[in-house]
Amino acid sequence: MSTSADNHMRDLLDAITSRLQRGEAIDPLPVARSDDAQGELEEVVEIAGALHVSLKPLSPNQEFADGLRAELLDGPAGFFGRSRRMPARLSVAAILALFAGCVLLLLRRIFGSETAHEVPEEAVAAPL
Amino acid sequence: MKFPFSKRIDFTELDDKDLVALAKENKAAFGELYERYLPKIYSYVFYRTGNVHDAEDLTAKVFFRALSHIGNFVEKGAPFQAWLYRIAHNLVANWHRDQSRRKIIALDDYVVNSLKSDAPDRLTEESEERNQLLEAFRRLPEDRQQLLLLKFVEQMSNAEIGAIMGRTEGAIKSLYHRTLLALREDMNQTLAGELNRRQGGEEG
Repeated sequence: MSTSADNHMRDLLDAITSRLQRGEAIDPLPVARSDDAQGELEEVVEIAGALHVSLKPLSPNQEFADGLRAELLDGPAGFFGRSRRMPARLSVAAILALFAGCVLLLLRRIFGSETAHEVPEEAVAAPL
Repeated sequence: MKFPFSKRIDFTELDDKDLVALAKENKAAFGELYERYLPKIYSYVFYRTGNVHDAEDLTAKVFFRALSHIGNFVEKGAPFQAWLYRIAHNLVANWHRDQSRRKIIALDDYVVNSLKSDAPDRLTEESEERNQLLEAFRRLPEDRQQLLLLKFVEQMSNAEIGAIMGRTEGAIKSLYHRTLLALREDMNQTLAGELNRRQGGEEG
């Protein structure tokens, strides 16, 4: 349940933050309703100021921005285009899995064909 | 809305609503939305993940998802911007769930060391304080991180933030107040822990 004092503090903080965002001076701070509240206000305004300085808009790498735009507008990039964004360990795992799959297929082709010849001979010899 | 000569339209002059209507059939219109929102979404995702690789990966996913679902987007109160941020928010939340077994990654050198390049002690100290603040920021619950990013990075009003987060302006003001109190508490505890560690080191 919020009290009138909470709401007053909330509105003061909101007003001071808006001034910070507009690049206006925030000194002197508005006066809160009590010494405790004034202390709290000064501390949270200091944090708001630090956030204002630290959380700035960033720009992505131009190469990334151009590449993504091309992928979005010119169609899918295919396996190799998408794998570029995969984490390194995932890329290695994908390559290993692909290699293991090829080996398995090859082994199955070689040994699978031998057993395919053997089974019918046994089947013929077995009593009905 | 019909745009019979859409190929000749200067997309930069259109507002989001018209662009979204066009983008359902015209990729070039989506390209303009991409240009408008790429830095915003990238900044949002970067501060939430703390590293360039995942920020680029998730940013790409946000725009691919937006492109594939824009045909179904209907503006009901919340504008396109709010929809895009919700996609980003959901993808980042999934990413955090996937990362939960791994320790928290320190923010990239790009951010942490950006003030160190000139090297005087004062800048190094400022950079350490900034690093502590950003680490405390990343320990906040998701909704509080989102609020601070929309307020400070995107410079949004409480009404705009409320539209994205599905809350009233009053609720946003209250959440902001509580968030700063939580940050103050976290940083005070970190500072106290640091002092104790240093004192322990000197005595030992």
